[in-house]
Amino acid sequence: MRRTGDHVLAAIPLAWLAVLFLVPLGFTLVYSFGTSGFGTVQLGFSLDNYVQALGPLYLETFLRTLGFAVGSSLLCLVLAYPIAYAIARRSGRFKVVAFALILLPYLASLLIRVMSWQILLAQGGPLEKVLRAIGVLHSPITILDSLPAVIIGTIAVYLPIAIIALAVVLDRIPPEVVEASHDLGASPTATFWTVIFPLSRPGIATAALLTAVPMLGELVIPVLLGGNKGLFLSQAISTQYVQSQNYALGSAMVVLLVLAVAVIVALLVRLTRGFEGTAG
Amino acid sequence: MSTSAPRSVGSSLISRRTVLGAAALTPIAAFLAACSSTGSSGTASAKLTSQLNIYTWPDYFSDKDLAAYAKKYGVTPKISTYTDNNTLFTKLNSAAGAGYDIVVPSSSWIKQISDKGLLEELDLDRFNLKNLDQSLLNRNYDPHNKYSIPKDWGLLGVVYDPDAVGGEIKTWQDFFDAGAKSGASGRIRMTSAAEETVGPALWVQGKDWNTKKIADIQGTEDFLTTFAKHVKTFSAFDPNALKSGAIVMAQANQAAARNAILLNPKLKWVVPGPTSELWVDSFSIAKGAPDVERAYEFLKYQLTPTVQVNETVYLGYPASLNGLRDKLPSNVKESDLIFGGPDVDFDKLTSFIVNPDTYPTFQDIQNKVQAAAGA
Repeated sequence: MRRTGDHVLAAIPLAWLAVLFLVPLGFTLVYSFGTSGFGTVQLGFSLDNYVQALGPLYLETFLRTLGFAVGSSLLCLVLAYPIAYAIARRSGRFKVVAFALILLPYLASLLIRVMSWQILLAQGGPLEKVLRAIGVLHSPITILDSLPAVIIGTIAVYLPIAIIALAVVLDRIPPEVVEASHDLGASPTATFWTVIFPLSRPGIATAALLTAVPMLGELVIPVLLGGNKGLFLSQAISTQYVQSQNYALGSAMVVLLVLAVAVIVALLVRLTRGFEGTAG
Repeated sequence: MSTSAPRSVGSSLISRRTVLGAAALTPIAAFLAACSSTGSSGTASAKLTSQLNIYTWPDYFSDKDLAAYAKKYGVTPKISTYTDNNTLFTKLNSAAGAGYDIVVPSSSWIKQISDKGLLEELDLDRFNLKNLDQSLLNRNYDPHNKYSIPKDWGLLGVVYDPDAVGGEIKTWQDFFDAGAKSGASGRIRMTSAAEETVGPALWVQGKDWNTKKIADIQGTEDFLTTFAKHVKTFSAFDPNALKSGAIVMAQANQAAARNAILLNPKLKWVVPGPTSELWVDSFSIAKGAPDVERAYEFLKYQLTPTVQVNETVYLGYPASLNGLRDKLPSNVKESDLIFGGPDVDFDKLTSFIVNPDTYPTFQDIQNKVQAAAGA
């Protein structure tokens, strides 16, 4: 039987969530059906904002952002998996040090980390100097203010999150399961693909969730590394709220984004169904 | 101030973690704004408090002058910052905007902010306006300076490498023509301020950027979205990019251009014809300011000639002091550029005024241009 104290403890974060998430979301939903003035909203029921939010410009923006988030997240996972595997199953007593090193960049703010990439990738910057010095590059580097620079910055920012999410799950796969596979005659490659990889699916899903969802709302990296080109959804939403003062359209775009995120989460939950007990 | 100003770094920067949160919270601010009365009287307190809250652009007052003010009057101003006028308007228009004494809106937004009842009417008798440059007073965005006193001013111009762009830029048509050629294509910086993208395209057609005809504004869309592929960045002005050659032609204000020219003397600066922008950042007192008396005291201090000279040297933007050019110390480098060059004629320049009926169209085009640039 639960004690009253437990309910009080649970009520605090619940109230926090309600005030900081559900209430604003409620206002957003109500505003999304309203009619916008300049910095004001006339409440009502109109689907005009949704029609506009699903129009060619914003639909294309949404699809481009979705493609960017899914692609970058996949790239993150591919790069993170071997690192996470090495940390979880090969680092021995250096495991804690390895985790600490992966988390080290988070001691600096996101802005500083992204701006450091801006300096690094700039024409005439440190990367160009090093590449020229070793004879790999013979012309100025022009990657800054482009989509590749945005992807590089995004991977750099989100890779540690993916590594940690994967490493935690890989670390908790019981050694007996792997030993049993070997004892039954499976090669290391077969053991990996038939035992370890399937058991790490919850980690893959978590890593995908923790990278793809925030990437959908990414704003700083496209501005600083992408030259503010190729409209991203978060920029489009921010523009509606702050520049165009069109709270109603901005709200409709937020509602659609939240729905898209909900679909992604549902898909990932489905992917990990039946694996809750992996950690053993 | 235009978004091409160096201190408006990352005009659209919002923390990654606050993107969705901010988007979700904005309606609350707007709702609270709707519930709160914007017409609160803001009665001037007769007694000075020990607080002065200033909401302004980042790094927009010299520390030396702030310290001198604090020493003289016993109050250290508490400074909060914004990076574009839209943010200033959004905040003042919400409950979160309460509590500021002084704000520093640009000429483009003064009418919109004052029309919403968010600024105090100024008592001009409390200032010595004869000390100020008369050509900066009584302008169209605030007739009779009912709500604003000019702080400093700037111009929209172009800084460029004449060798790379293949000649001299004299007009906005030259800017667009040069940008489409191989020397400059892909190495251009434009601002993320919609009016500064659409404005030059309107001027090329001989049209006014304060036009009320939405069709005229929309008429620039095809031209600008086609031109967009030549633009490398819409991000904050970076003088180092002009030094390295990553950018060879950039929209910029004169202070930003001066910084670039100090790094790379072969660069040139021009205020293109047939017209361009004059923006004036101005002191205003926020409606319902907690301490109007303290606000007047600070403004009078800021408008003293010595402080105005100091601020000009510190910022690189000319203060509104009359005859300022002759009062600057002789060791200031490229001092002519602070004033936009030797022969800037205010009568040939124009100031943008945000119009709620047309402004969303400007933003819509800006979105499309930025999208096309990255396509």
